[in-house]
Amino acid sequence: MKRRRVLFIRLSQFRLFLRKLFVALVLISAFGLVVLSKADNAHLNKTEDIVSKVLNPVIRVIQLPSDGVFYVCEKIRDVARVYADNQVLKAALAESDYLKTNLQALKIENELLSEMLSYTPPAGAEFVTAKVIASEGDGFSHSLIVYVPSKKNIRKGQVVLYKEGVVGRVDSVHGVYVRVMLISDINSKIPVIIERTRNKGILSGNNTSELHLLLTSPGADIRKGDKVVTSGVGGIFPSGLVMGYVSDVSENAISVEPLNSLDKVEYVKIVDYIISHEQTEENTEK
Amino acid sequence: MKESFPEILKGYFKQFLPLIVTLFLVLLSFVQIHFSFFYVFKPDFALMCLYFWTLYRSDLFGILSILFLGLVVDSLSGVPFGMNILVFIFAYLLTLAYGSYIHTKSFLMSWIAFAFISFLCFLFKWLLFSVYYKVFLNFGHVFVSCLATLLLYPLVACLNVYVQTCFLGDDEVIDEQR
Repeated sequence: MKRRRVLFIRLSQFRLFLRKLFVALVLISAFGLVVLSKADNAHLNKTEDIVSKVLNPVIRVIQLPSDGVFYVCEKIRDVARVYADNQVLKAALAESDYLKTNLQALKIENELLSEMLSYTPPAGAEFVTAKVIASEGDGFSHSLIVYVPSKKNIRKGQVVLYKEGVVGRVDSVHGVYVRVMLISDINSKIPVIIERTRNKGILSGNNTSELHLLLTSPGADIRKGDKVVTSGVGGIFPSGLVMGYVSDVSENAISVEPLNSLDKVEYVKIVDYIISHEQTEENTEK
Repeated sequence: MKESFPEILKGYFKQFLPLIVTLFLVLLSFVQIHFSFFYVFKPDFALMCLYFWTLYRSDLFGILSILFLGLVVDSLSGVPFGMNILVFIFAYLLTLAYGSYIHTKSFLMSWIAFAFISFLCFLFKWLLFSVYYKVFLNFGHVFVSCLATLLLYPLVACLNVYVQTCFLGDDEVIDEQR
């Protein structure tokens, strides 16, 4: 039998072709977005801003039941701890009476020594407390989204602290929501100094819970347990802020354990170091 | 016959339901949970939902849904724009390629196929990020996330089956993409 020639493709085949073409277009657009993202495109930042402003309140609402369950669990744990704590407190009270006497003597001594050394207190710094509402901590990025209830002057690069240690810096501000790049993020590079030996280096995140100390001098005497503090080089971080402690020293790498467990951060302090900011402005004017 | 306004709304709701469920789970994964366990074992809910809906209801979960989902995940996680879109398209194409074979098989087979596809996707994502940052990222953490995704898949699949049965059960599946 002679086969009939088909002049046109069927409609379903044409639709399938269009779909495949559309998938290819989206794929190319995605590559384009990655390239634009590398160039820090303003339109992309605006898109991120809009999506964050829309979705972060939703995350906040979803967070409420989780907070409630955590609160109840903590309360139950607290009751269990009360008895044990009571015993410890009784012992501690007896010890504190003894220490109180010593403390009085030390306080007077300290005042005298401070006067002698012309001790200068650290520069005044403004800070705002913010609640963590979302966190990202997988193998690709480490960041937090925090909620700042009041209108404050939050800027990119400001230091974010938890208790006494640094947890990160402000990455972007979307109204009352602020994204914080954690010190464990691969993009985080902070100039630091070993407090004991004064060796300088760069503390780098690598998207894990441990940090790596880079660019230290080859013969540097660095030991496990050494305290790592910010060096103040670069002007973003003031000097002397605690980053963590050296946890492992090997031939190829020096690991640093952050002072605070980054996954347990609930509230953070966003600090505006006035002096550092003024210096930056002066440098910009120059 | 002309449809009434509530029927039109119901139609739209059904059309977007897979995307809504996926978005809800994605937002849930960003909630701060106060246990270290979840910090390390971060499952990829978007990938689980993408696989399920592309496999069983590709008529309701198309390339536009994937584009939107990728944009949301990229914005919230603070990673460079387009990275997750690329990974999701990769997962979408893989699922479509093997979909016709897996579609009629048992859940166990579907789970095994998901294990294969999710591993490839995580590997692809790891490679993409490593190229972007010009440094090899810790693959151990990525593997742990992949494992968590794989282990939690039955749970997410149950939820999606429930949604499919309760809200989309009476729909006729139109699948022209395979």
